[in-house]
Formats: sequence, C-alpha cells, structure tokens
Amino acid sequence: MSTAAPGVLRTTLGTLLSHYRRHPGQLLMLLLGLWIASALWSGVQAINASARESYARAEALFSADLDRIARRDGAALSLDDYLALRRAGLPVSPIIEGELSLPDGESLALIGIEPLSLPGGAPLAQQDGDADSLRNWLIPPYRVRVAPDSLAKARTLEGLPPLEIDPDLPPATLVTDIAVAARLLNMDRHITRLVIAPERDVELPSAFVRTSTDALASPGQLADSFHLNLTAMGLLALVVGLFIVHAALGLALEQRLGLLRTLRALGVPARTLILALGLELLLMGLTGALLGIVSGVILAQLLLPDVAATLDALYETTVSGTLNLPWYYWLGGVAITLGGLFSAGASMLWRAARVNVLALGQAQAWRARLRSQLRLQLLFGAALLVGATCLWWYLASTGGQQDLALGFALVALLLLGAALCLPPLLAGLLGLLARYLPRRAALLQWSVADLQLQLPQLSLAMMALLLALSANLGVGSMVGGFRLTFLDWLDQRLLADLYVRPSMEQFEDLESWLQERSEVATLLPTRSTEAELIENDVNVGPVALFGIAPEPILRRHWPLLDTLEDREAAWSALNQGAIFINEQLARRQGLAPGDTLQLKSPASLITLRVAAIYPDYGNPRGEIVLPVSRLATEFKAPSGTLGVVLAPTEDRAQTLERLQNALRQRFLLTGEGTDGTPLIDQQALKQMATEVFERTFAITRALNALTLGVAGLALLTTLLAQAEARRAQVAPLWALGVSRSRLVLLQIGQLVMACLGTALLAIPLGLLLTGTLVAVINVAAFGWRLPLHVFPGQIAMTVALAVMVAILAALIPAWRLWRVPPRQLLQEFAAA
Amino acid sequence: MLQLSGITKTYPTPQGPLKVLDDVDLTLGAGESLALMGESGSGKSTLLHLAAGLDLPDEGSVHLGGQRLSILSETKRAALRRDRLGLVFQQFHLVPSLSVRDNLTLQARLAGREDDAWTEHLLTRLGLADFAARYPEQLSGGQQQRLAIGRALAPKPRLLLADEPTGNLDEATAAQVLDLLQALIDESGCALLMVTHSARVAAPMQRHLVLKRGKLMDAVL
Repeated sequence: MSTAAPGVLRTTLGTLLSHYRRHPGQLLMLLLGLWIASALWSGVQAINASARESYARAEALFSADLDRIARRDGAALSLDDYLALRRAGLPVSPIIEGELSLPDGESLALIGIEPLSLPGGAPLAQQDGDADSLRNWLIPPYRVRVAPDSLAKARTLEGLPPLEIDPDLPPATLVTDIAVAARLLNMDRHITRLVIAPERDVELPSAFVRTSTDALASPGQLADSFHLNLTAMGLLALVVGLFIVHAALGLALEQRLGLLRTLRALGVPARTLILALGLELLLMGLTGALLGIVSGVILAQLLLPDVAATLDALYETTVSGTLNLPWYYWLGGVAITLGGLFSAGASMLWRAARVNVLALGQAQAWRARLRSQLRLQLLFGAALLVGATCLWWYLASTGGQQDLALGFALVALLLLGAALCLPPLLAGLLGLLARYLPRRAALLQWSVADLQLQLPQLSLAMMALLLALSANLGVGSMVGGFRLTFLDWLDQRLLADLYVRPSMEQFEDLESWLQERSEVATLLPTRSTEAELIENDVNVGPVALFGIAPEPILRRHWPLLDTLEDREAAWSALNQGAIFINEQLARRQGLAPGDTLQLKSPASLITLRVAAIYPDYGNPRGEIVLPVSRLATEFKAPSGTLGVVLAPTEDRAQTLERLQNALRQRFLLTGEGTDGTPLIDQQALKQMATEVFERTFAITRALNALTLGVAGLALLTTLLAQAEARRAQVAPLWALGVSRSRLVLLQIGQLVMACLGTALLAIPLGLLLTGTLVAVINVAAFGWRLPLHVFPGQIAMTVALAVMVAILAALIPAWRLWRVPPRQLLQEFAAA
Repeated sequence: MLQLSGITKTYPTPQGPLKVLDDVDLTLGAGESLALMGESGSGKSTLLHLAAGLDLPDEGSVHLGGQRLSILSETKRAALRRDRLGLVFQQFHLVPSLSVRDNLTLQARLAGREDDAWTEHLLTRLGLADFAARYPEQLSGGQQQRLAIGRALAPKPRLLLADEPTGNLDEATAAQVLDLLQALIDESGCALLMVTHSARVAAPMQRHLVLKRGKLMDAVL
C-alpha cells in the first residue's frame, strides 16, 4: 500500500488535470485570471520598487543627514561666504550642483563636493577609505563617480575625468571634486549650498539661516501619493483577478464532482484527493505567477520611461528609466500570486474535503450546500460590515491621528463584506421578483427562475463586478471632488495676476515702483522662513512660517476650514497677534482654533494663539501663517514674492504683458513660467498645478478602467464556461416554441437584470468608499481631509457601465446560441 | 472473502428514521457469485456501499479479506478498495477526459498494478481494441458499460461489486454485457456480488438472495 501511494497521487493528479484537456476554456480562464492579477500587481510593484530604489539612492545622497545653510537675504552663496564661515570656525562644507547637457538633449546632474570638509557620516563623503582612492579623487586627472545605470550616458560626455562606478548613486547623477565640477559647470566662485552635520549646534552669523534636515521634504515623500494610487489600484486588480480565479476553480470543481466520486470509489483516499487538488493549484499558481511576473516586468519596462518622465515633471524626482528589481520583488510576486490563489481555492478544497463520497456528484446535495453557503456568506459579510462600522467609529474618534493601515483595513472590510452579501441579496431580490411577477408573463417568470438557478455560477463574477463598479464610482467621485476642491482652492489662494520674485536688493525699489503704477490695484507680499515648534518645553521640530499681507482681497478669498467665531473675527485676530495654521499641523499636533502653541524665534520664545485652520492641499509639512510684517521683524524672514493684483481692466492680458515688459526693462527681470524665474504668471502657475493634478490621477483612471474591463472579462468567461450547460436549459424552451432570437434577448436581459441589481448595491458602496478615501485614507496618508462630493452624473455612469458590461459579456454567448444548429438544440433537448 | 454480520443501517427522513437494513448477515467466499435482488429502495445499493467501505453501518461489522472495515481509517479503507475490489456502477462513471485505454487502466494504475498484457487482453475481450484512443462520449451505451467492467477488472481484484450493471442498457446489449462479465469473472477467478432487480440477470449467478423490508432472505427465481 505504501509503495502505491506516490503512484496514487500521480495518477489522481493526472486524471484531475485531464479535465482541462476537454475544457481548455476553463484552464484559459483560470490562467487568465491569475495572469491578469499577477501581471498588474507585479507591474505596479516593479514600477514602485524601481522608483523607491531611485528615491532611496537620492535620499542617501542628499541625505537627509545634513542641514543646509543659506543666506538670509536669499542671495546666492559664494566661495567668500564659505571661507568666512570656515574662518569663524564653523564646520560647513560646500556643494555645487548643475546640469551637463547630453548630445541627445537629455542631461545629467553634476554634484561637486569637497571630501575633506564634508561631514563624515554623509553618504557623499563615503570614499573607499584608502589613501589611493582619496588621492585619485583630489589630484589630476581626478575621478567622476556615476551609477551603473547612467554609465552609458556619462560616456557620451566629452572632457570628463575617468569614470568610477558607484552603485549607491542615484540615476542620472555624477559626483566629483568641487573644483572639477566648478570647471565643468563654469560656476567660478559660486556655491549651490553649504551643509553642516545636524548634531553640530553652532551659532550662525545673522546673515545666514539654517534649514534642518527634517524640514526638507524628501523625493519619496513628495511622490508618495502617486505610488499610493498605483499600489491601491494594483491591489484592486489583484483582487478582481482572483475573483476570476475563484469563479474558474468553482466551475472546475462542480464539473468534476462526478470524477471525484469515481476516484474515491476506486480507492483514492480523501486526503490524497485534496493533496492532488492542492498540487493542481500549486501548478496553476506557479504557471500563472511566472506568466504574470514576466508580463508585469515587461509592462513595467514599457511604462517606466513615461512614469519616470511624469515623476520628473511632477515632483522633480529622478527615477531610473531601467528597472532595478530587488530579489524580494520576485519572491514577493510569486508569494502574492500563490497566496491569492490558495485563498481563492481554499473554499474549493474545504468543500471538496467535506462532501460525503456518497453524495458527491449529486447536484441536489451540492445545491443544498450552496444554499447553506449563501446563508453563511450573508452572515459573514454582515459581520465584516459591522466590523467596518466599528472601525469607522474608532477612526472617527481618534481625530487626526489616523493609521493608514487601519484605513486600508476599513476599505478591505467594507468591500469584502459588501461583496459577500451580494449573492444572497441578489437571490432575495430575484425571489421577490418571482413572487410578484404576473402569472401571464410566463417567459419573464421563466427568466427570473432560470437566473436564480444560474446565480451560484454567476455570483463570483458579480462580486468582481461589484468591486470594480464601486471602485470606479468611489475613486471617480474622490478624484472629481478633489478636482473641484483643488481648483477652487487654487482660485482662492492664487489671487494675484502676477508673482514677482525680486532679489533682496531690488525688493524695496520694486515694491515702491509697483505701488505707483495705475494698473496695479493691490500688492500681496509674502515671506517664508521656519522656526522651532515647542511643545511642553520640548522642541518637536521645525515648522514652516508663511507671511501674508491681510489685504481685503485676501481676507475675502483665503479659504478657512475652521475658526473660533467667524471669518472676520479670525482675520482681526490675525492682525492682533494670532496665527492661522494649516490642516496638516492642526491634525498632527491636535490643535484647534483657540489653542496656543509656542515658537522659538531668533529673539525669544513666543506663545501664539490659533485663530483659524486653513486647507493646504498637497503640502506635506505643517505651516503657520502670520502677517508678513511680523515675519520680517520677529523672525527675520528674508523677502519673498510680491503678488500683483491688477486693477479691473477690460483687457487683462494686454495690461499684464505691458507690466511684465516694464518690469523687465526697469529691473532687468527676465523669464516667465514657474521654475525659479523672477516673473510668474498666475495663469501659468494654475495651468501647471492643474496639469500636475491631472497627471497624478491619469494612471488611477487608467487602472480603474482596466479593473472594470477585468471584471467584465470575469463575467464573460463565466458565461462562456457554462454555455454548454445553459443550452440544455434553454433547449426545452426552444422546443416549446420560443424562437432563438427571443432566447438570445432573454439571455441578454437576464444578465442586464443581474448587473443592474449589482449596480444598485455598488452605488451606496461606492459612495461609502469615497467617504473612506476622503475622510480616512487621505487624512492618514497626507494629513488633510477633502469635502465629500456626490456627483449624480457619476452614479448614472456607474449604472450605464453595469448595463454595458452586461451586454458586452452576454454578446458572445448569445451569438453562439444564435448560431447553434437546430439539430444540436434537439440533442440538447433530448439530454435535458 | 466478504462477511457482513448483524448489519443495521438507518436513514433520517422527513417522516422519521427509516431502517433500510435490519440485522443483515451475508458471507461470500472466494470465486463465488451472488445476485442480490430486491425492489427499488429496498437497500440493495446501501448494502453494496457498505460492502465496499464507501459507507459504515450503524451496527454490525463488515469484514473484507479478513479486515474489519469499521476500525480502519478512511485512507486504509480506500487502499483496500483500490487493491482488492472492482466496482461497476449503473451510470458507468467513466472519466470523460480520459481515453478508453486510460479509463480502462485507471484503477490498475492507482493500485500500482498495471499489466500491459492483461490490458490488451481485456481490450480485445471487451471489443474495445479499435476504440482505445477514443473518449467515452464516442462510445455507445453498451461499449461504455463494457469499458466500466474492464476498468473494474483491470487491477485483477478479488471481489467485483456490480450495482445494476445492465440497468441502463437495452435487452440485447444487456445480455451481451452479462455474458461477457460472466466469462471474464470465470477467467479471473474473482468473486462477484451483483445487485439487480431482474431475475433474468440474476439467473447465471451461483447464489441468489433478496432484500425485503430490510431483511435478507433466499430468493426463488
């Protein structure tokens, strides 16, 4: 007996697998589900992993471990500044940065460092350690370090010192000695920045200002929202793909019940049968994972250059255009596919293990179990929804301190709970319909009764559709609401028609000149700096200070989320010494209007009262708003930007152009746009912000549509897989005199009915999802909350999408039914 | 070979418990053939399931080849079935995705006792040699039942349990299949317990019993 055991397993497995030889469509559906789930997830993860690796390299380089020093007057740093600080005994180190253009139009960043003065712990300073290496670095012909993925590009540059490979460097970045960099960049005596080790607590001369490492937003932080979007959508695609797998496995099991019974009767132990089914799953899983990961990597490889370009344009982060995938990526891809497959197949194994051998293959016993399974499913789904409600209540009670993982757990509970409740709810709905339909509507009655019979097979595809529809509505409403809020907020915050960024020396002259111009209605100067936030006598870190001029136009439009009394009172309080804080700071520190906070100014410790909280979308940092005059006097903030509000005019564009030309001529200001140029047109700024917004969510929308497509595919494959059995159901009807065209219409109508029922549940679920995204996930991920917007158009679109998916999915099986010859229908009738 | 002693089996029904077998004793020696008759619902198939170890009695014991089935684990009962029994069902229960040859050798392969010469012999005797590469759906009803008999005999079992093996066939085909079954049983020397409600089918068997209201008694043909 023991010698026969491996043979039993082998023969059992072979016999089980032979089922797919006769039903290749089922195998295709299974592998398709696995492939889609694994490919989209792996593709997204490959992009994320590659981008994170680039961020990690960039963060390590600019580390995060060094404080920056700049001139308080905003002027560029020079070699003289560096020498003056060194002579004063301050351990600062100079860095210069620039760009070297490549023949193909792209560019590489060049960083020059001074290795002897650079703080030892900084990654930039980490030489190989031996004297030869340092000598090579410091004496001709010098060395330039480059990451392996940028070596080919660096080689196209002429006049570079010999190249050294350094895998820790970020992509598209060269590092060399400061003297070499100054020569290559023609920077002469200019320095881009001065850095100092954060632990060095030194007193800086008043002309300089220090920015702590904590205050510098890292590239990874900035692009987090982008990657969060990708991950969430990848996860959704994975779940929907696994629903296809679950549906395929369920069908494969149901069709093989007779085979299982025969095998058991022929002497295959239940344990061996389950083991064989498990091995079958493993085999499918490995094939699906392999296919999925390979396609995912290819997909990522194709998308990465575009994603890198988008990230560069949006967040100025450099992401390598080639994939760098760590070992755990591959292992993770296989693990998630297998994990997903076994979780989808667990119920199949459990049911196969529990079914009595004498009852196996008896459809009635199986259906009786399905009915009890529906009840169990409803109970379990309801329990998950109760869990979601409790979690929502808990998260609401924690105020601003929300946990992102708990937020995602809430979304998962909500979606899974609703998906599990769908089949029993649809069954109930159909039961009600069947009861109240008029007896004369025989075909309609048959249609409903037949749909009830189909429900067990359709339920998984319907669950996948429910998830896709609600995600579509939820994410669509969230993005739509965000767009409305964001554009409104932009209009409120960008009040000036033109923003001028003069140098410190020009500031006063320019301000006076503008005040005298007849076309200028109001000037809105701003300044910014930072200060240490003190809480219970403990320094909790730096916070950004932003100075504004509380002119009437600003008071009318500046958005406020919460005030102690009303808007006017808040503005009066601001003028009398109170402050406004942004939502991020309020949530992080648990502050509300009326509370106080302490700041360490250059002169003393100041206690300030919070008069209002304002929205500050997209800013990862906490920020405090004060009158600009106060920022200049009490916090020694350097001059910043001058917002110019034009007087009402019939031709704004012409007036603006005239003013810009005058500014250029008088103050030698050049440039337009948004990037470090002294003149910024409000329209250009808004356009750029809107572009950033649209591009950030473009990929979300694409993945959303893809998920809906996958759900439609799930429905189609389910219908195709049971098409043969369905013909046996409709053949008697045909024999009774119902034409094939009516049968086709009935089939399409049945599916539309089921999809409409699903859409009815998807609407509240989608709205709940939007609520969770804007009130929980967004707050936990970014520190700010969005108002909830409901778009009737989006809801109508969800219903339309459901009908469209139903018609598209039913079309091929219906067409096949239409084409089936009467002879075959007769055979089906005889067999039915 | 097979010994059933004091077997009782009751099923719950909406009208209350139904005793299908009531203190049934049955013995079948090596090489013997026995026809078990009775009306529909008399418990014939239940008795066959108990003999095969597919189900366990509420009371009494089933010994197969000297081993008491109720004290064996499910895995050991399955092994015993695989190694010593051949089963033929009324509904054939062939594997539609396996060829005729693979269906024929399925249990022999499971038991690790595949014998090419015996397989060829069976294929020829069953009249399926020309259809070995086909699939069950391409065979007639009689051919399918012959294949099911071949599958049961392929591992050279000591006992063949047949549940209405001709119930799904027309009279002429049923007669052909029965003749073949009898001939193969004689060739292989295995014992046969056949459940049937037809006296004509039962006639060639050495012994005849009938199940009536849960009790086993001698049948008069």
